[in-house]
Amino acid sequence: MLALDLLFNGLIIGVFYSLMAIGLSLIFGILKVVNFAHGEFYMVGAYAYTLAAIMLGLSPWLALPFAFIIGAMVGLVVERLLMRPLYAGYASWGLMRDEYAVIITFGLSMLLINLVDKIVGPYAFKGPALIGVSRLYIGPIVISGHRLIAAITAVGVITVIMLVVRYSLWGRQIQAVAQNRFGASLAGINPAKASAVVFALAGGLAAMSGALLANIFNPTPDVGVFPAIKSYVIVVLGGMGSVPGGIIASLILGVLESFGSVYISYQYRDTFGLVILIIFLLFRPQGLFGQKSREV
Amino acid sequence: MRDFVDSRSRSKVELWASLGIFVVVAVIPAFVSNEYWLGVVIVSMYFALLAIGWNLLAGYTGQFSLAPATFGMLGAYTTGLLAYDLGSTARTGIPAAIIVAGAIGFVLARIVMRLRGPYLALTTLSFAEIVRLVISNSIEITRGDLGLNVPTFVEGRVTYYYLMLIVLLAVQLGLYILLRSPAGLYLRAIRDDEIAAACRGVNIVRWKTYAFTISAAISGLAGALYGHFAQLVSPELGLISQTGIIISMVVIGGLGTLVGPIGGAFLVYIASELLRDFGGYQLVVFALLVIIFGRFFREGLWGLLRAGFERVLARRVVQPVD
Repeated sequence: MLALDLLFNGLIIGVFYSLMAIGLSLIFGILKVVNFAHGEFYMVGAYAYTLAAIMLGLSPWLALPFAFIIGAMVGLVVERLLMRPLYAGYASWGLMRDEYAVIITFGLSMLLINLVDKIVGPYAFKGPALIGVSRLYIGPIVISGHRLIAAITAVGVITVIMLVVRYSLWGRQIQAVAQNRFGASLAGINPAKASAVVFALAGGLAAMSGALLANIFNPTPDVGVFPAIKSYVIVVLGGMGSVPGGIIASLILGVLESFGSVYISYQYRDTFGLVILIIFLLFRPQGLFGQKSREV
Repeated sequence: MRDFVDSRSRSKVELWASLGIFVVVAVIPAFVSNEYWLGVVIVSMYFALLAIGWNLLAGYTGQFSLAPATFGMLGAYTTGLLAYDLGSTARTGIPAAIIVAGAIGFVLARIVMRLRGPYLALTTLSFAEIVRLVISNSIEITRGDLGLNVPTFVEGRVTYYYLMLIVLLAVQLGLYILLRSPAGLYLRAIRDDEIAAACRGVNIVRWKTYAFTISAAISGLAGALYGHFAQLVSPELGLISQTGIIISMVVIGGLGTLVGPIGGAFLVYIASELLRDFGGYQLVVFALLVIIFGRFFREGLWGLLRAGFERVLARRVVQPVD
């Protein structure tokens, strides 16, 4: 029965991972850069949720959308101020756009971590639980009530986002820009707007996953570092820019870590994903589900 | 051809500027006898070495590795483990650190040879985290997060100070010679356009590997020297935030210039010690500076200074005559 328990818990962790990774994947799809400040979107969300609940006395169910909105706003501001040069072409970096993105997002990550450290303080807060039930028994599986509810919420959010990206007008504009920025602009789509939507969505989703996990991993200024590294592994495993691939990869990584920490080594549980990342980048850079692309 | 001459005279100016910084650093002990502040300058020299190493890779070859602090940590652990287990001295420990860090850098360079941009950054970041996790979890060998005690090898802080300065000077001169040689042009050609460089006959694989190896070896040297100075080697040396500090030093000082990383390292580290008494906002300020410089002034403070000088000179030379 241990195996069933591990599988279930791994899948639940995977759901949270995928909430985080979808945004990263969308950003890569549309701008072809990796956002190294993604963990800090998560951190901002975790704090927004916890502080709204503790200080403003908001109910956790209202604090969740609040965290999403704060994260989306951060994403929007970042896109407008720092990411525009990537496609508007007026940065001093010329052709070195990858390098520009690495430096800017790395600096942004440092800025957000230290800003929160100074304003809120380095101490951990305990995020409120969404539900008071501490233990639920589903057949042979034991799980905390909060974890289950949070996972169900996350699945709901992911479903909505998937549908929006796939079928709505904005979503299809995003897809078009991701496929061919120039072609999309010829068809009357505004790539700048699509990028802004993607960043707002990515910020909001990462913040949401921070909020949902605030009860499990108490927010500290550097709480986002590890979720960010997990989501890098996931986008590589699932294929850079592929959202469905990212979701499947998240579930695979969650289950793998869950089993690996019991059957292989608990101390090295965080290294499994990193080894997978390196192996995939070297031998299958398009990931499990990504398509080989060619330059146009 | 004109650019070639121009880049040579530029690097000469940059070398002189960095020598000027060294002269200032060399006379500091004549005025400051406070052990603590001498220690601060020594640590900034450690960061300057790391920054030089990363700048060779990122600024001159265009390979944005996110593992400079890791190679420093590997160097520190090499000499630390040799001293701890075998009782060896720094005389064998430091060369061993250079060789081990360089060798690991060589192997990593071979592995990541085909990766560029975000892929390279992600791979080196994972490498950095794996190494750090392995070192901090191999408790029976490395004593984990407790760290290793490493003996010092010279008497007195001032001696150490000048030792670091001499090493820094030697590395800087070596780099200057390297960058003035055809190798320097090959590296910059790879940075600017890899495919064009290959078409003109530059052996990309070879020069990228060399740059990676030399950069790793410099970082290893820095880490080993730091380990003997601090007399403690711990996995904290390899944290991502350490890499962040190194990157911010180079970006603020001036990426792809000879003097930038050195000026940036002294400026950032000493200023952060000074600012520590004023609410500790130093890291916020530096992160903000990284974003501003990265966004608007790619060549950092040095680029701004040079642009200012050039404007003044141009005004003096070009006098319109009616």
